[in-house]
Amino acid sequence: MKTKIAVRNLRLCTKDCLCLYVCPTGATDTEDSIIDISKCTGCGDCADACPGGAISIVPLEYPPQQKKEDPVLTESYRMIKNKAAQEKTAAQIAASTDEDALYRLMTAVARSVRLVNEDLLRESGYMLPQSGNTHALLHEWAENPPADDFPIEAARKLLELIPDNDA
Amino acid sequence: MKYICSICGYVYDETSEGTAFADLPDSWVCPLCRAAKDLFRPEKTEAAPEPAHPDPAAAGPSAHVDTDHAGEDLHKLSAGELSSLCSNLARGCEKQYKNEEAGLFREIAAYFAAVTPDEPDGDLTHLLSLFENDLTIGYPAVQSAAQTTGDRGTQRVCVWGQKVTVILNSLVQRYQREGSAFLRNTQIWVCSVCGFAYVGDTPPELCPVCKVPAWKFDKIEGRRSA
Repeated sequence: MKTKIAVRNLRLCTKDCLCLYVCPTGATDTEDSIIDISKCTGCGDCADACPGGAISIVPLEYPPQQKKEDPVLTESYRMIKNKAAQEKTAAQIAASTDEDALYRLMTAVARSVRLVNEDLLRESGYMLPQSGNTHALLHEWAENPPADDFPIEAARKLLELIPDNDA
Repeated sequence: MKYICSICGYVYDETSEGTAFADLPDSWVCPLCRAAKDLFRPEKTEAAPEPAHPDPAAAGPSAHVDTDHAGEDLHKLSAGELSSLCSNLARGCEKQYKNEEAGLFREIAAYFAAVTPDEPDGDLTHLLSLFENDLTIGYPAVQSAAQTTGDRGTQRVCVWGQKVTVILNSLVQRYQREGSAFLRNTQIWVCSVCGFAYVGDTPPELCPVCKVPAWKFDKIEGRRSA
Protein backbone atom coordinates (compact mmCIF):
# COMPACT_ATOMS: atom_id res chain seq x y z
CA MET A 1 0.00 0.00 0.00
CA LYS A 2 1.52 3.31 -1.02
CA THR A 3 1.84 5.97 1.66
CA LYS A 4 2.97 8.90 -0.51
CA ILE A 5 2.22 10.48 -3.86
CA ALA A 6 3.96 12.95 -6.15
CA VAL A 7 2.41 16.34 -6.96
CA ARG A 8 3.62 18.87 -9.52
CA ASN A 9 3.63 22.65 -9.03
CA LEU A 10 2.91 24.01 -12.51
CA ARG A 11 4.27 27.44 -11.59
CA LEU A 12 7.69 25.93 -11.00
CA CYS A 13 7.65 23.39 -13.84
CA THR A 14 10.20 24.34 -16.53
CA LYS A 15 9.23 21.41 -18.84
CA ASP A 16 12.58 19.68 -18.62
CA CYS A 17 10.49 16.50 -18.66
CA LEU A 18 12.96 14.31 -16.76
CA CYS A 19 9.97 13.11 -14.71
CA LEU A 20 8.58 11.49 -17.86
CA TYR A 21 11.79 9.52 -18.40
CA VAL A 22 12.16 8.23 -14.84
CA CYS A 23 8.54 7.46 -13.90
CA PRO A 24 8.08 3.67 -13.73
CA THR A 25 4.31 3.84 -14.33
CA GLY A 26 3.74 6.78 -16.67
CA ALA A 27 1.88 8.71 -13.95
CA THR A 28 3.75 11.95 -14.74
CA ASP A 29 2.78 11.98 -18.43
CA THR A 30 -0.72 13.45 -18.67
CA GLU A 31 -2.56 15.83 -21.00
CA ASP A 32 -3.30 18.33 -18.19
CA SER A 33 0.16 18.14 -16.53
CA ILE A 34 -1.41 16.97 -13.24
CA ILE A 35 0.26 13.77 -12.04
CA ASP A 36 -2.13 10.81 -12.26
CA ILE A 37 -2.31 9.71 -8.64
CA SER A 38 -4.08 6.48 -9.52
CA LYS A 39 -0.87 5.41 -11.29
CA CYS A 40 1.66 7.08 -8.98
CA THR A 41 3.40 4.66 -6.59
CA GLY A 42 5.04 7.38 -4.50
CA CYS A 43 8.55 6.14 -5.35
CA GLY A 44 9.90 9.71 -5.51
CA ASP A 45 12.12 9.22 -8.58
CA CYS A 46 10.43 12.12 -10.41
CA ALA A 47 11.02 14.54 -7.52
CA ASP A 48 14.68 13.49 -7.31
CA ALA A 49 15.14 13.95 -11.06
CA CYS A 50 13.28 17.26 -11.45
CA PRO A 51 15.82 20.07 -12.00
CA GLY A 52 13.27 22.78 -11.24
CA GLY A 53 12.13 21.51 -7.84
CA ALA A 54 8.57 21.46 -9.21
CA ILE A 55 7.60 18.04 -7.86
CA SER A 56 6.98 17.31 -4.19
CA ILE A 57 6.26 14.01 -2.51
CA VAL A 58 3.39 14.39 -0.06
CA PRO A 59 1.94 11.87 2.39
CA LEU A 60 -1.51 10.39 1.82
CA GLU A 61 -2.11 10.55 5.56
CA TYR A 62 -1.20 13.75 7.36
CA PRO A 63 0.02 13.77 10.95
CA PRO A 64 -2.18 15.25 13.69
CA GLN A 65 -1.85 19.03 13.77
CA GLN A 66 0.07 20.75 16.54
CA LYS A 67 -1.85 21.42 19.75
CA LYS A 68 -2.47 25.03 20.71
CA GLU A 69 -2.41 26.37 24.25
CA ASP A 70 -5.59 27.88 25.72
CA PRO A 71 -4.11 31.33 26.54
CA VAL A 72 -3.01 31.70 22.90
CA LEU A 73 -6.43 30.56 21.61
CA THR A 74 -8.31 32.94 23.92
CA GLU A 75 -6.39 35.98 22.70
CA SER A 76 -6.32 34.83 19.07
CA TYR A 77 -10.10 34.31 18.91
CA ARG A 78 -10.65 37.76 20.36
CA MET A 79 -8.70 39.21 17.45
CA ILE A 80 -10.37 36.89 14.91
CA LYS A 81 -13.69 38.50 15.90
CA ASN A 82 -12.20 41.96 15.37
CA LYS A 83 -10.77 41.01 11.97
CA ALA A 84 -14.16 39.70 10.82
CA ALA A 85 -15.71 43.06 11.80
CA GLN A 86 -12.96 44.91 9.87
CA GLU A 87 -13.53 42.86 6.74
CA LYS A 88 -17.28 43.39 6.86
CA THR A 89 -16.91 47.13 7.49
CA ALA A 90 -14.53 47.54 4.54
CA ALA A 91 -16.82 45.48 2.29
CA GLN A 92 -19.81 47.62 3.32
CA ILE A 93 -17.98 50.86 2.53
CA ALA A 94 -16.83 49.44 -0.84
CA ALA A 95 -20.39 48.42 -1.69
CA SER A 96 -21.86 51.83 -0.91
CA THR A 97 -19.32 54.21 -2.46
CA ASP A 98 -19.44 55.69 -5.97
CA GLU A 99 -15.81 56.73 -5.83
CA ASP A 100 -13.35 54.45 -7.65
CA ALA A 101 -10.37 55.09 -5.34
CA LEU A 102 -12.32 54.39 -2.15
CA TYR A 103 -13.91 51.31 -3.74
CA ARG A 104 -10.47 49.90 -4.58
CA LEU A 105 -8.97 50.83 -1.21
CA MET A 106 -11.80 49.18 0.73
CA THR A 107 -11.77 46.12 -1.55
CA ALA A 108 -8.03 45.85 -0.85
CA VAL A 109 -8.62 46.20 2.91
CA ALA A 110 -11.36 43.52 2.89
CA ARG A 111 -9.13 41.15 0.87
CA SER A 112 -6.11 41.81 3.06
CA VAL A 113 -7.96 41.40 6.36
CA ARG A 114 -9.49 38.14 5.13
CA LEU A 115 -5.98 36.77 4.46
CA VAL A 116 -4.75 37.86 7.89
CA ASN A 117 -7.79 36.26 9.53
CA GLU A 118 -7.32 33.02 7.62
CA ASP A 119 -3.75 32.99 8.89
CA LEU A 120 -4.91 33.53 12.49
CA LEU A 121 -7.47 30.72 12.18
CA ARG A 122 -4.85 28.43 10.64
CA GLU A 123 -2.75 28.92 13.77
CA SER A 124 -5.77 28.59 16.07
CA GLY A 125 -6.68 24.95 15.55
CA TYR A 126 -7.70 24.91 11.88
CA MET A 127 -4.48 24.29 10.00
CA LEU A 128 -5.42 20.90 8.61
CA PRO A 129 -8.70 20.02 6.90
CA GLN A 130 -8.03 16.55 8.36
CA SER A 131 -8.04 17.82 11.96
CA GLY A 132 -10.50 16.76 14.65
CA ASN A 133 -11.56 20.41 15.02
CA THR A 134 -12.55 20.61 11.37
CA HIS A 135 -14.44 17.33 11.66
CA ALA A 136 -16.32 18.53 14.74
CA LEU A 137 -17.53 21.55 12.76
CA LEU A 138 -18.51 19.51 9.71
CA HIS A 139 -20.44 17.03 11.89
CA GLU A 140 -22.21 19.88 13.64
CA TRP A 141 -23.27 21.38 10.29
CA ALA A 142 -24.29 18.04 8.79
CA GLU A 143 -26.43 17.17 11.82
CA ASN A 144 -27.72 20.61 12.83
CA PRO A 145 -27.42 22.90 9.81
CA PRO A 146 -27.40 26.56 10.94
CA ALA A 147 -30.21 27.45 8.49
CA ASP A 148 -32.44 25.89 5.85
CA ASP A 149 -30.38 27.30 3.01
CA PHE A 150 -27.06 26.05 4.42
CA PRO A 151 -25.21 23.91 1.82
CA ILE A 152 -25.54 20.73 3.87
CA GLU A 153 -24.47 18.48 0.98
CA ALA A 154 -21.09 20.19 0.91
CA ALA A 155 -20.54 19.39 4.60
CA ARG A 156 -21.65 15.77 4.11
CA LYS A 157 -19.42 15.31 1.10
CA LEU A 158 -16.42 16.75 2.96
CA LEU A 159 -16.99 14.28 5.80
CA GLU A 160 -16.83 11.48 3.23
CA LEU A 161 -13.76 12.79 1.47
CA ILE A 162 -11.58 13.94 4.37
CA PRO A 163 -10.28 11.56 7.03
CA ASP A 164 -10.12 12.64 10.69
CA ASN A 165 -6.51 12.24 11.72
CA ASP A 166 -7.18 13.08 15.38
CA ALA A 167 -9.72 10.27 15.72
CA MET B 1 21.59 59.37 12.12
CA LYS B 2 19.77 56.42 10.57
CA TYR B 3 16.03 55.69 10.40
CA ILE B 4 14.62 52.20 9.91
CA CYS B 5 11.37 51.30 8.17
CA SER B 6 9.24 49.37 10.69
CA ILE B 7 7.64 47.35 7.89
CA CYS B 8 10.51 46.20 5.65
CA GLY B 9 13.68 47.24 7.48
CA TYR B 10 14.88 49.74 4.83
CA VAL B 11 17.56 52.00 6.29
CA TYR B 12 17.43 55.73 5.58
CA ASP B 13 20.96 57.01 6.27
CA GLU B 14 20.98 60.80 6.57
CA THR B 15 24.72 60.92 5.88
CA SER B 16 24.59 59.17 2.51
CA GLU B 17 21.20 60.60 1.52
CA GLY B 18 22.30 64.16 2.22
CA THR B 19 18.88 65.20 3.58
CA ALA B 20 17.89 65.18 7.22
CA PHE B 21 15.02 62.77 7.83
CA ALA B 22 13.04 65.56 9.50
CA ASP B 23 13.33 67.65 6.31
CA LEU B 24 11.67 65.03 4.11
CA PRO B 25 8.10 65.99 3.17
CA ASP B 26 5.26 64.20 4.99
CA SER B 27 4.26 62.65 1.68
CA TRP B 28 7.65 60.87 1.47
CA VAL B 29 7.31 57.08 1.58
CA CYS B 30 9.71 54.16 1.99
CA PRO B 31 11.43 53.55 -1.39
CA LEU B 32 11.09 49.78 -0.92
CA CYS B 33 7.63 49.13 0.57
CA ARG B 34 6.00 52.61 0.37
CA ALA B 35 5.33 52.71 4.10
CA ALA B 36 4.52 56.24 5.28
CA LYS B 37 7.26 58.42 6.76
CA ASP B 38 5.77 58.17 10.27
CA LEU B 39 6.30 54.38 10.21
CA PHE B 40 10.10 54.90 10.36
CA ARG B 41 11.91 54.65 13.72
CA PRO B 42 15.28 56.14 14.59
CA GLU B 43 17.98 53.46 14.72
CA LYS B 44 18.59 52.34 18.27
CA THR B 45 22.02 53.33 19.51
CA GLU B 46 23.75 51.04 21.98
CA ALA B 47 23.28 53.46 24.83
CA ALA B 48 19.58 53.89 24.23
CA PRO B 49 17.37 51.84 26.53
CA GLU B 50 14.96 49.34 25.00
CA PRO B 51 11.54 50.90 24.53
CA ALA B 52 9.07 49.63 27.07
CA HIS B 53 7.49 46.42 25.85
CA PRO B 54 3.75 46.83 25.42
CA ASP B 55 2.17 45.16 28.41
CA PRO B 56 -1.20 43.68 27.54
CA ALA B 57 -2.13 43.63 31.22
CA ALA B 58 -1.74 47.41 31.25
CA ALA B 59 -4.15 47.74 28.35
CA GLY B 60 -6.97 47.60 30.83
CA PRO B 61 -9.70 45.16 31.71
CA SER B 62 -10.94 44.95 28.13
CA ALA B 63 -8.02 42.63 27.32
CA HIS B 64 -9.21 40.16 29.93
CA VAL B 65 -12.96 40.48 30.06
CA ASP B 66 -13.82 36.86 29.50
CA THR B 67 -11.76 33.74 29.78
CA ASP B 68 -13.81 31.48 27.55
CA HIS B 69 -11.96 28.55 26.18
CA ALA B 70 -11.91 29.13 22.44
CA GLY B 71 -12.43 25.44 21.70
CA GLU B 72 -15.60 25.37 23.78
CA ASP B 73 -16.60 28.59 22.11
CA LEU B 74 -17.03 26.96 18.74
CA HIS B 75 -20.75 27.52 18.58
CA LYS B 76 -20.30 31.21 19.19
CA LEU B 77 -18.16 31.86 16.11
CA SER B 78 -20.04 34.36 13.96
CA ALA B 79 -20.86 33.88 10.29
CA GLY B 80 -18.06 36.28 9.32
CA GLU B 81 -15.53 34.29 11.34
CA LEU B 82 -16.77 30.96 9.97
CA SER B 83 -16.44 32.29 6.44
CA SER B 84 -12.73 32.99 6.99
CA LEU B 85 -12.34 29.65 8.78
CA CYS B 86 -13.73 27.82 5.74
CA SER B 87 -11.81 29.84 3.13
CA ASN B 88 -8.68 29.01 5.16
CA LEU B 89 -9.53 25.30 5.00
CA ALA B 90 -10.14 25.65 1.26
CA ARG B 91 -6.57 26.97 0.96
CA GLY B 92 -5.37 24.06 3.05
CA CYS B 93 -7.01 21.68 0.58
CA GLU B 94 -5.51 23.54 -2.39
CA LYS B 95 -2.04 23.19 -0.92
CA GLN B 96 -2.64 19.45 -0.69
CA TYR B 97 -3.87 19.42 -4.31
CA LYS B 98 -7.38 18.43 -3.18
CA ASN B 99 -9.42 20.57 -5.57
CA GLU B 100 -12.84 19.01 -5.00
CA GLU B 101 -12.54 19.48 -1.23
CA ALA B 102 -11.29 23.05 -1.74
CA GLY B 103 -14.36 23.83 -3.83
CA LEU B 104 -16.72 22.47 -1.15
CA PHE B 105 -15.09 24.54 1.59
CA ARG B 106 -15.33 27.61 -0.67
CA GLU B 107 -19.04 26.92 -1.11
CA ILE B 108 -19.56 26.91 2.68
CA ALA B 109 -17.34 30.03 3.03
CA ALA B 110 -19.48 31.83 0.43
CA TYR B 111 -22.65 30.84 2.32
CA PHE B 112 -21.35 32.32 5.57
CA ALA B 113 -20.09 35.47 3.81
CA ALA B 114 -23.56 35.99 2.33
CA VAL B 115 -25.33 35.72 5.70
CA THR B 116 -22.88 37.92 7.65
CA PRO B 117 -24.93 40.83 9.03
CA ASP B 118 -23.86 44.43 8.35
CA GLU B 119 -21.69 46.16 10.93
CA PRO B 120 -23.57 48.99 12.65
CA ASP B 121 -21.76 52.31 12.05
CA GLY B 122 -19.73 50.66 9.31
CA ASP B 123 -17.72 53.72 8.29
CA LEU B 124 -14.04 54.67 8.04
CA THR B 125 -13.92 55.90 11.64
CA HIS B 126 -15.24 52.54 12.86
CA LEU B 127 -12.68 50.73 10.68
CA LEU B 128 -9.82 52.82 12.08
CA SER B 129 -10.96 52.16 15.66
CA LEU B 130 -10.94 48.40 14.97
CA PHE B 131 -7.38 48.64 13.60
CA GLU B 132 -6.37 50.69 16.62
CA ASN B 133 -7.81 48.02 18.91
CA ASP B 134 -5.71 45.29 17.24
CA LEU B 135 -2.55 47.38 17.31
CA THR B 136 -2.78 48.53 20.93
CA ILE B 137 -4.49 45.53 22.58
CA GLY B 138 -4.94 42.55 20.23
CA TYR B 139 -1.43 41.95 18.89
CA PRO B 140 0.41 42.68 22.16
CA ALA B 141 -1.91 40.23 23.97
CA VAL B 142 -1.56 37.45 21.37
CA GLN B 143 2.20 38.03 21.11
CA SER B 144 2.60 37.87 24.88
CA ALA B 145 0.57 34.63 25.19
CA ALA B 146 2.51 33.09 22.29
CA GLN B 147 5.87 34.05 23.82
CA THR B 148 4.89 32.68 27.22
CA THR B 149 3.87 29.33 25.74
CA GLY B 150 6.74 29.16 23.23
CA ASP B 151 4.30 29.13 20.29
CA ARG B 152 6.46 30.28 17.39
CA GLY B 153 3.75 29.73 14.77
CA THR B 154 1.48 32.26 16.45
CA GLN B 155 4.43 34.62 16.95
CA ARG B 156 4.94 34.48 13.17
CA VAL B 157 1.24 35.33 12.66
CA CYS B 158 1.81 38.37 14.87
CA VAL B 159 4.92 39.51 12.96
CA TRP B 160 3.09 39.41 9.63
CA GLY B 161 -0.37 40.45 10.78
CA GLN B 162 0.81 43.41 12.82
CA LYS B 163 2.80 44.82 9.88
CA VAL B 164 -0.12 44.34 7.51
CA THR B 165 -2.48 46.02 9.99
CA VAL B 166 -0.06 48.94 10.40
CA ILE B 167 0.00 49.42 6.61
CA LEU B 168 -3.80 49.20 6.25
CA ASN B 169 -4.25 51.65 9.13
CA SER B 170 -1.74 54.02 7.51
CA LEU B 171 -3.42 53.86 4.08
CA VAL B 172 -6.91 54.47 5.50
CA GLN B 173 -5.63 57.35 7.65
CA ARG B 174 -3.97 58.85 4.58
CA TYR B 175 -7.22 58.54 2.63
CA GLN B 176 -9.10 60.29 5.43
CA ARG B 177 -6.48 63.06 5.58
CA GLU B 178 -5.78 63.64 1.88
CA GLY B 179 -8.68 62.11 -0.01
CA SER B 180 -8.28 59.93 -3.05
CA ALA B 181 -5.52 61.83 -4.94
CA PHE B 182 -2.75 59.40 -3.95
CA LEU B 183 -4.70 56.47 -5.40
CA ARG B 184 -5.62 58.08 -8.74
CA ASN B 185 -3.83 56.86 -11.87
CA THR B 186 -2.09 54.10 -9.97
CA GLN B 187 -2.88 50.63 -8.64
CA ILE B 188 -3.42 48.91 -5.30
CA TRP B 189 -1.82 45.48 -4.92
CA VAL B 190 -2.44 42.90 -2.20
CA CYS B 191 -0.02 40.07 -1.42
CA SER B 192 -2.07 36.89 -1.81
CA VAL B 193 -0.06 35.19 0.94
CA CYS B 194 0.15 37.67 3.85
CA GLY B 195 -2.24 40.46 2.82
CA PHE B 196 0.35 43.25 2.58
CA ALA B 197 -1.11 46.18 0.61
CA TYR B 198 0.99 48.28 -1.78
CA VAL B 199 0.17 51.38 -3.82
CA GLY B 200 2.13 51.63 -7.10
CA ASP B 201 2.04 51.03 -10.83
CA THR B 202 3.64 47.59 -10.47
CA PRO B 203 3.92 45.30 -7.43
CA PRO B 204 7.19 45.15 -5.47
CA GLU B 205 9.75 42.51 -6.55
CA LEU B 206 9.46 40.81 -3.17
CA CYS B 207 6.72 41.19 -0.58
CA PRO B 208 8.35 43.31 2.15
CA VAL B 209 6.49 41.36 4.84
CA CYS B 210 6.50 37.68 3.79
CA LYS B 211 9.13 37.80 0.99
CA VAL B 212 7.17 36.05 -1.77
CA PRO B 213 7.81 37.19 -5.40
CA ALA B 214 5.83 39.83 -7.31
CA TRP B 215 3.57 37.34 -9.11
CA LYS B 216 1.96 36.47 -5.76
CA PHE B 217 0.43 40.00 -5.68
CA ASP B 218 -3.13 40.57 -6.91
CA LYS B 219 -4.16 43.84 -8.53
CA ILE B 220 -7.34 45.26 -7.03
CA GLU B 221 -9.68 46.05 -9.92
CA GLY B 222 -12.12 48.95 -9.95
CA ARG B 223 -15.84 48.34 -10.03
CA ARG B 224 -17.00 47.23 -13.43
CA SER B 225 -19.31 49.85 -14.87
CA ALA B 226 -22.78 48.53 -15.51
